[in-house]
Amino acid sequence: MSENIHHDDHGHDDHHVNYTKIYLTLLVLFVISVLGPELGIRWVTLITAFGIAIVKARLVVNNFMHLAWEKRIVKWVLATSLILMFLMVAGVAPDVMNHEGNNWENVAAKAEVERGLAYMAGYGGEEEEEGEAEVVVAAGFNAEVSFGQICATCHGAGGAGDGVAGAALDPPPASFTDPAFWETRDRERIKTVIRDGAAAVGGSALMAPWGALYTEEQLDQVTDYVMSFNPGNE
Amino acid sequence: MADTVADVQQHEAHGHVDHHHEQSWVSKYVFSVDHKIIALQYLFTGMFMGIIGGYMAYVFRMQLAFPGISVPGFGQVSPGEYNALITNHGSIMIFWVAMPVLIAAFGNFLIPLMIGADDMVFPRINRLSFQVFFVSSVVLLLSLFVEGGGFGGAWTSYPPLSASGDYNQTELGATLWLLAVALEFVAFLLGGINFITTLMNSRAPGMRAYDIPLVCWMIVIASILFMLSVGPLLAGAVMLLFDQVLNTGFYDPARGGDPILWQHLFWFFGHPEVYVVLLPAIGITVEVMATFARKKIFGYKMVLYTAVATGVLSFFVWAHHQFVAGIDPRMANVFTITTLLISVPIAEMLFVMIATLYGGSITLTTPMLWALSFMAEFLIGGVTGIFLGASGADIYFHDTYFVLAHFHYTFFPIAIIGTFCAFTYWFPKMFGRMMNDTLGKIHFWGTIIPFNFIFIPLFVLGMGGQHRRIYNFQHFPDIAGPEYFQLRQIATIALLVMLAFQLVFFYNVIVSWMKGEKAGKNPWKANTLEWTTESPPPHGNWPVDELPTVYRGPYEYGHPDREEDYWPQNLPG
Amino acid sequence: MAHARPIATTRSATGIPTPRLAVWWILASEVVIFGGLLGAYLMHRLGHPEWAEAASHTQTWIGALNTFVLLTSSFTAVLAHQAAEKGNGKQAAKFLGFTIIGALLFLVIKSYEWTTEILAGYTITANNFWSFYYTAAGLHALHVIAGAIIMGFVAVDAFRGRELHRVEIIGIYWHFVDVVWIFLFPLLYIAK
Repeated sequence: MSENIHHDDHGHDDHHVNYTKIYLTLLVLFVISVLGPELGIRWVTLITAFGIAIVKARLVVNNFMHLAWEKRIVKWVLATSLILMFLMVAGVAPDVMNHEGNNWENVAAKAEVERGLAYMAGYGGEEEEEGEAEVVVAAGFNAEVSFGQICATCHGAGGAGDGVAGAALDPPPASFTDPAFWETRDRERIKTVIRDGAAAVGGSALMAPWGALYTEEQLDQVTDYVMSFNPGNE
Repeated sequence: MADTVADVQQHEAHGHVDHHHEQSWVSKYVFSVDHKIIALQYLFTGMFMGIIGGYMAYVFRMQLAFPGISVPGFGQVSPGEYNALITNHGSIMIFWVAMPVLIAAFGNFLIPLMIGADDMVFPRINRLSFQVFFVSSVVLLLSLFVEGGGFGGAWTSYPPLSASGDYNQTELGATLWLLAVALEFVAFLLGGINFITTLMNSRAPGMRAYDIPLVCWMIVIASILFMLSVGPLLAGAVMLLFDQVLNTGFYDPARGGDPILWQHLFWFFGHPEVYVVLLPAIGITVEVMATFARKKIFGYKMVLYTAVATGVLSFFVWAHHQFVAGIDPRMANVFTITTLLISVPIAEMLFVMIATLYGGSITLTTPMLWALSFMAEFLIGGVTGIFLGASGADIYFHDTYFVLAHFHYTFFPIAIIGTFCAFTYWFPKMFGRMMNDTLGKIHFWGTIIPFNFIFIPLFVLGMGGQHRRIYNFQHFPDIAGPEYFQLRQIATIALLVMLAFQLVFFYNVIVSWMKGEKAGKNPWKANTLEWTTESPPPHGNWPVDELPTVYRGPYEYGHPDREEDYWPQNLPG
Repeated sequence: MAHARPIATTRSATGIPTPRLAVWWILASEVVIFGGLLGAYLMHRLGHPEWAEAASHTQTWIGALNTFVLLTSSFTAVLAHQAAEKGNGKQAAKFLGFTIIGALLFLVIKSYEWTTEILAGYTITANNFWSFYYTAAGLHALHVIAGAIIMGFVAVDAFRGRELHRVEIIGIYWHFVDVVWIFLFPLLYIAK
């Protein structure tokens, strides 16, 4: 590389770079890059914003960081890291940018995009939409479903303590259909155990605390649902 | 270069200040900037973490073979604890054992000694690197004891499970785990820059690129791979941390995020990571083989180029971990091809090893046994990888014990065999005394035989369709045929035997360190520069005016013109 | 404890002084960190056309002002390097001081910008665009803070005429921080 001829090892390089000139050029480019996109034409925006960013970066890297006078190996190292980034994006993009496959679609992502686009189209409608969303969330909670997803794993869907994951536990999971169980339990205790785990009332640590999952209101609903298993309630 | 050797040495003698001033114990061993002490700190921290990782394996293997029993030394394993144990076993063995020992400990110890320098080029950054690493180990261990227990989302930490305490039930544990991993990465970035610049700039006068011992090249190539692959994951880890702590939605599909993005960022690092630890292990093995076969390495440049080729290719195989994650099928084809391609350079390296052994005068010392077993065991790991790399077969094998057995057949040779190989080979240089060879061989056979008894049954289990990460197979009668219980028990008993034999190793280390036979400068009659100084080397490695100058390559064994069968790199003429 | 400098540090087999070689490697690893983050952002951005709405709430003129501040601080950093090469430590320290002032100004403007945005409801959890916005700019701001602190130490040393070669090293790092912003600016502010 011819530029290496002027270079010696100790950084006392004599590059004859006029830093002020480079700086002024950068400022001019910078003004263009801000003003260009104001026109609102898509290709002008792309060229002025990203094209000029590349030119500016080149100017800084070559003249301020003196990469132009650096040994070849440094250029190789930096080029490698840049190329790797492009390849990474190329490998990831088909997944992250695609919301559909041949046999499936990413419903959630598509819904999000559509919701956002609808939101963009109709300004001002935002408050109602958010209101609706909250109603959906509140209505979305169902103690029976939640019991089925979480508690039933061990306690069984019918609350008889016969869930698959509970089979090996010692002590076995409580059966809510057993009248003996209810002799020593009240509503407050059930709620505490769901929230803080059985260990909180001196029971087995295998009954984990689930309080983080529920709001106070939801906790009450789940408690009520568990209470409904009590055969003595009939 | 040769004509400036005298100049350089004169210049060096001027710039040097006496190393032999008195130091307190703390500044000598705890806050030392000496590369050899830092290497030992990394080595012992890594071994300590290795013991913890082994203990975890013991606990969950007991739970798998004898579900529900109270494991001696632990107690009954709950499902949450089981998940935390397997997660942290994986994280510890890769990030806190393989990397610190193979790269940081041996890199620190060997690079300056082998290239004839008196220390790393940034000794204080080196010390900082260990300190950050040490803090990361402490944070990881703490994460096991916080409220909710240790993180249980597997070492790959896929969101959305890892992204929210609502899902994983270990809010604090998951965050601390992530912080520990991020800190560990920072430590290795600091260390890696040190290794790379030291090798590039501080070689002894006369040492050309092809005179550098292969193990140094391998550690440096590994550091470069690590540096170039870990960046996206660091960025991804920050995003995951924000998901956990600030409740952002980077990986939440319902809010426009993408959980698959994390898989890509993770494996873009995660797969090169395999080669980050593999390359140093191969370097160590070739080094040991050349010495004990008394032969020049067959194709030094070939090994070097294939290492570079492996490194480059390793960046283009990552998505083979995601074949069943719903990735674009066209990409699956691409990644199948690149994955199968990468076995070519690795096979080439194994052929180089065989060619090096061919016709050599082989001495079966303990390090040599480890080196030979590396070849044999890694071969099994590599060949089973072909099944998994083909996207069609992977759909069946994905997340079964077959995968688990496959990567243990790669990581065990790398992290355990590689470490023992290097440790037994360089022990005389590190501590100045020879290790007991008989005890070493007992330990070798006591480790290798049970190792195969652990993982061959797991291949069978995997082919039978048994999935990983299942707490208790009794819950899943469909996939847990009773005949498989026996295989699981064989694996667990073999593990117990293997762990028991590690006591022989620790006994051997302590006894040999205390009263082993004095080693002298060059007990193995090897060529590389570290054998030209005292054992253990003093601070500064060589006396100031005797820093070595290099005249030839590192593997000149059995040269016909010489009476002795070795020819040290620093001998003139 | 005063450490003798190892002889290893005085060698230079590549012909590049070791500290400069090291900083180039650090930058290579930084390129992949920012590359990963910005790549992820870019893919999401192109996959979510609706983010344009969120992006239209960024304040272009503040971003532009910050670009100007960083460009200027880069200019003074290179002038400091020029002075250090001539052996003029005091001059170099003065220019580094200007660069530090630029860094502080950048951070002040940034804080003002973020405060107005957060008060307007555009917090980090408002939308994934804002999550990326704060994460990318925040990571960059951390680099500005770290650079300014290190530059302070270098400037003090340079003022006393010591370790003048470090002026170039911190300069290279600083220009890199500038280059990252050159790309962040159009990505976050201009492309609407």
